[in-house]
Amino acid sequence: MKNTIRIERAFKNITQAELAEAVGVSRQTINTIESNKYVPSTVLALKIARVFGKPLEEIFILEEKD
Amino acid sequence: MKPQFLFPYWFRYLGWGCVLAHVPLAMIGHSHGMVNIMDIDPGQSVFSGEHIFFICTTLLMAVGLFFVAFAKEKIEDEQIAQIRLTSLRWAICLNYLILIISLIFITDTGHILELNLWVPLLFFILHFRWNIYRLNRSMREDAKVS
Repeated sequence: MKNTIRIERAFKNITQAELAEAVGVSRQTINTIESNKYVPSTVLALKIARVFGKPLEEIFILEEKD
Repeated sequence: MKPQFLFPYWFRYLGWGCVLAHVPLAMIGHSHGMVNIMDIDPGQSVFSGEHIFFICTTLLMAVGLFFVAFAKEKIEDEQIAQIRLTSLRWAICLNYLILIISLIFITDTGHILELNLWVPLLFFILHFRWNIYRLNRSMREDAKVS
């Protein structure tokens, strides 16, 4: 699963730390999600999508191998 | 994330304090002729000298490791919870491997029991801290690249 968090952050002009604080996780977690090293839970994914004001499918995209 | 039972963050320091404190206590005890509870005849009364020595040393260390292992991180989130679970599974598997091998090749079950008191906790702490270190390192490397 890939995601567009880095792009959305750039649009919204917020840092990893600010996004982490907004969704209540550590900066490391946001970093690993952005790098596709960690797949977040549904609750966390929904929280991230809510911060960007977009539907979940626009932030997180399934890949062929999933 | 559902809250899970963990000790407060400062328990990590309390735990290491207990682990460190057991060293001088054990040295003082040994210098006064105290022996390990595993090395004396069974049937000794509860809270005998050797039993109290055991509580002040081996048990203090095990309690210290327990506090360190189950103290919260500064920011406890779902990724930390996942790492914690992976480390726990790894520690239990390795502990049982050592337990089975030692039960096959060693007949001294008393000392195997004592070993089991701290081996899973120590393996858990090492695996957990190593993964946290790797997480922080990868974040620093990503920051350098971007």
